[in-house]
Order: sequence, then C-alpha cells, then structure tokens
Amino acid sequence: MARNTVGRWTDERPAAYDYQEVPYGGQDTYEPGLTPSAAIETRQPEKASAPKRADKSRVDEWMEVEFKFGGSRIKRKAPALILLGLPALVPLFFMLPALVTLNSNTFAVSVDDTLGTGAEICLFLCLLVTPMVTLTGQRWFVPLRRWYGIMMAACAFGDAIAAGITDNFAGGVFGRLAGHVFELMGFIMVMLVIPLLLTGNPWAQRKLGKYWKPLHRLIYVIWGFLAAHLILLEGFGFERGSNGSGFAGDGDPIFHQRLYQYSACSVFLLVLRLPPVKRWIAARHKEGRMWLVWVTVLPLFALFVFGFIFIVNEEIFKGMDSFTEHPSGE
Amino acid sequence: MTSETYGMGSQEQTGAGRVILMVSSSLAALLVIAGLIYATGTGARHKAAVAAAGCEPSLFISGMPCTTEQMMASRYEAIVTPATQQLNTEMAAYAVNERRDLAAAEADLSAEVVTEQAFDNSLAATTFTPQNRAAAAALIQNATSSGTPVPLAAAILTPQVTAIAEALIQADQALVTLLAEQARSASLTQLRSFNHRVQVASAAVQTEMKLIAKALDSPPPAG
Repeated sequence: MARNTVGRWTDERPAAYDYQEVPYGGQDTYEPGLTPSAAIETRQPEKASAPKRADKSRVDEWMEVEFKFGGSRIKRKAPALILLGLPALVPLFFMLPALVTLNSNTFAVSVDDTLGTGAEICLFLCLLVTPMVTLTGQRWFVPLRRWYGIMMAACAFGDAIAAGITDNFAGGVFGRLAGHVFELMGFIMVMLVIPLLLTGNPWAQRKLGKYWKPLHRLIYVIWGFLAAHLILLEGFGFERGSNGSGFAGDGDPIFHQRLYQYSACSVFLLVLRLPPVKRWIAARHKEGRMWLVWVTVLPLFALFVFGFIFIVNEEIFKGMDSFTEHPSGE
Repeated sequence: MTSETYGMGSQEQTGAGRVILMVSSSLAALLVIAGLIYATGTGARHKAAVAAAGCEPSLFISGMPCTTEQMMASRYEAIVTPATQQLNTEMAAYAVNERRDLAAAEADLSAEVVTEQAFDNSLAATTFTPQNRAAAAALIQNATSSGTPVPLAAAILTPQVTAIAEALIQADQALVTLLAEQARSASLTQLRSFNHRVQVASAAVQTEMKLIAKALDSPPPAG
C-alpha cells in the first residue's frame, strides 16, 4: 500500500489513517503562534487511540543524531536551529545603538519601520513553519515556530513602547499608541500577542488543556489585523502618486507597497493551511507523486519569496539607517 | 482545521484541494510573471520618476529626497555671486592704485588672490567626488530624519558640470599664481606689465564660468 517515499509511510500503517490532517502522518500542522516544540502534543483524549506520530522522516532522523561539540554532545538540529533562528534577532540588533545612546530621534523616526517590519517578518516565518511541515514532512524545524513567535512579540512590544514614548501624536501615551485607527490596529495586535507569549510554554499548555489550541489561534487574528494595519497605514498604493510609500524615483512603487508584500506572502501561507489542499497533498504523497505537489505549489512559493524579499529589503535598509542612527523617515 | 472527513481519503475529497491549489497557483504564476515583467521596467520608471521630480539622475540617492537642478544652480550662485562682487571691488581698487601706490595695489592683488582661492575651495567642495557625495548624503539624511528642508550645502554638481568646474578651478589657479607673482612686483611699471597676462588668464576663467552657467542654466555673474 503506502510507499516509503521519505521513510514515513510504512506498510504497517493502517489504511484508515492515510488521510490525516498532516499529509505525512505527522502530528499537528495546526498553527499556534508561540507553540513550544515540546508542547506539540495537543491531541484530544478521544483521539488518543489514534496512532502516534508517523515514523520520522530521514531528515528528521538525521537531525536527531548527536555529535560531539566541545565536552558535550548535541543534536545536529541544534546548530541548524540556531542558524535559522538567529536572523530573527536582527531587527532588535538594528535598534541596539539607538537604545544604548538613547537616541530618541532614531526611535521616533525609524523604530516603526525597523521593529514593525521585523515583527512582520517574524510573523511570516512563524506562519511558514506549518506549510513547510506539510510540504516536506520534516518536523525538526518546528521549534522555530515558538522562537519566531517570541521574537515577533519582542519586536512588537519594542515598537509599541517606542511609539508610546517618542511619537508626536497628541493624547498622551494612549493617544500615541491608539490615537489613529492604524495605530489602534497595531495596539490590538500587541495586546493579542501578550496571551500567546504568556501561554507559549508546556506548563501553560498543560494547564489550559483543550483551551490552549483555540487560544493560540489568535495568531490568525493577528495576521488579519496586520492586513488592516497596513491598509490603514499606506492604503492600496495609489494614493501617493506613482511611487507608493516612498520618495520619487526608485522605480519600484508596487514592490515597496507593504500591503502587496503582505498579500504575496499570505497567499502561500493561507492556501497551504486549507484542509482540502492538505488532503490533496497527502493523497499525492500516498501515490508517490510529490513532484506534482512541488510543481503545483512552486508558483505560490515563488510569490511568497517575491513578497518576502522586498520585506527583508525594507528591513535591511531601514535597519541599517537605524543602526547608524541616521534614520530614514521614508 | 480539523475535519470529520479526515481519514476517509476518497478521490472526491481531494478534488476541492486540487481545484483550490490549481487556481491559486495559476494566479500566483501570473502574478510572478507580471512582477518579473514589471521589474524589467524598473530602470525606465526610475528615470521617468527622477525626471518628473526635476531630480538630477546622477545625484539621486535611493529612498532620499533628490537634488534638483534648481538646488544645484542655487548653490553655485551662492558661491559665485559674493566672490564676483568681492573681486569686482578689489579690481576697482587695483585700477585706482596701479598707477600711483605700489603698496596699495599689491594689497589689492593679494586680496584678489585670497578671494580667488576661497572661491576655488568653495567650488571644489561642490564637485562630484566620493567625499562630497558622502557629505551631501549625510546632510540629506539628517534633514530627512529631522523633517527639515534639505540644505543647499547638500546640492553637489553632476559629473558633467564637475568636469567644467574642475577646468574652472584649474584656470583660476593659473590666475591666482599670476596675481601672486604680480603682487610681488618691485615697481609700478613691473606691476602693470602683468596686466595683459592677467587679462588673458581672467578671460579663460570667464569662459569656464560661462560654460558652467550654461550647463546649470543660470545667468553668468556680472563682472
């Protein structure tokens, strides 16, 4: 029956479980924003009789192998996770000089772009984990979901705190945080991140039980609020003439429009979460035709990369301006 | 995301997924292709946007307010106008003293040397060099971050105008050398003997100044 394409489907696997929510028979691909890796087991009691996670993929098995490092032994996935997780620190790193020198001008001008865009990047990386599990069948990188979620929260809090202190809007701290509708959207997102951050650990998951999973679906609400935030922040890109949000002359008005970047990234992340799509992928995997899945998904992934590159581009340029404390107000 | 239907695994149940994926992927493919086509026009749009904003393309710094021709001309005028007025005064004084007061005439010539030297230095600070470009970028960036207008000092000359400005500086340095030599004359006769050569050197300077004024589309300074 099932093939052993990537070492996950075995002949012992009951046919009744061929169509799992997770194509490869892995655990959940459900999307908690700040899910700790050790706290993935969220099956309901009635599902306890279902088979446990399918055999690990070959890559997962390879990643679990330990090697000697100094005086201790660490798993191969540890350095890989560190390497993949490090970029999430970059937005905070960009703001470090301004924090050390208490440069209020840099905070006032560019913290929104540097940390706000950083939070957006971390959110997308956090949301990217599930589709990648769906497509690759590998789970070794799932702990990154929690890490990116934490860094998203850190960037969002930093953005909100700096905006509350340094923005020029009237109405005191609350006015600066929520005095305009787009700010209110951002403020709500920050508020929604708090319970996710506080409960993104095994202890909270045990305590919350069946309520933990619905609570962590708040990440989808944050995802939606981000769209509203960006629409209200810059509109649809036609309001400022031919150059989107920037000054004249860079020639890429559409690519620099944050809403379009967001949309380009979100299509892939959304479609790969739809149950019918996941079932189709599972079926293709069962047939041993993963090439069809890859070919079909490639344009969506390309669109994601297309949008993501420009978000990262924005982060690097604004971040470097912040780092050198010559913030750009573009 | 959970569904009762999971685990049943019929072909019909994957049909919806196939349709969703095909449609969304097709749209994504179209968008990516459109994006790539759009990206090929980036250069042309850049030029058009720069021209529409009156920016000097060679002075454009991505993401920052641009230097316009008007700014460039204004900065040049801000340098050349006071220098020309000062020189006219000093030349008028020299014309009075060249036949009767050697010391006063030499002092006038020395003053001319100082004025010409200051003019050359100011002009050199506007040329298109890596140092000047970095200084201009810093000024523009500071103005942008503080929300103030871009200062005139941030406007430097284009590479084309810089070539003329460098010729002007060279011609002016020749004049300065001649004036300094003239200022060391031992007699009024010797002093006046330089006048013709000084006039020729001045004419060379005037020629370059007219070329710059033409390139910047600004009126040449009087005198």
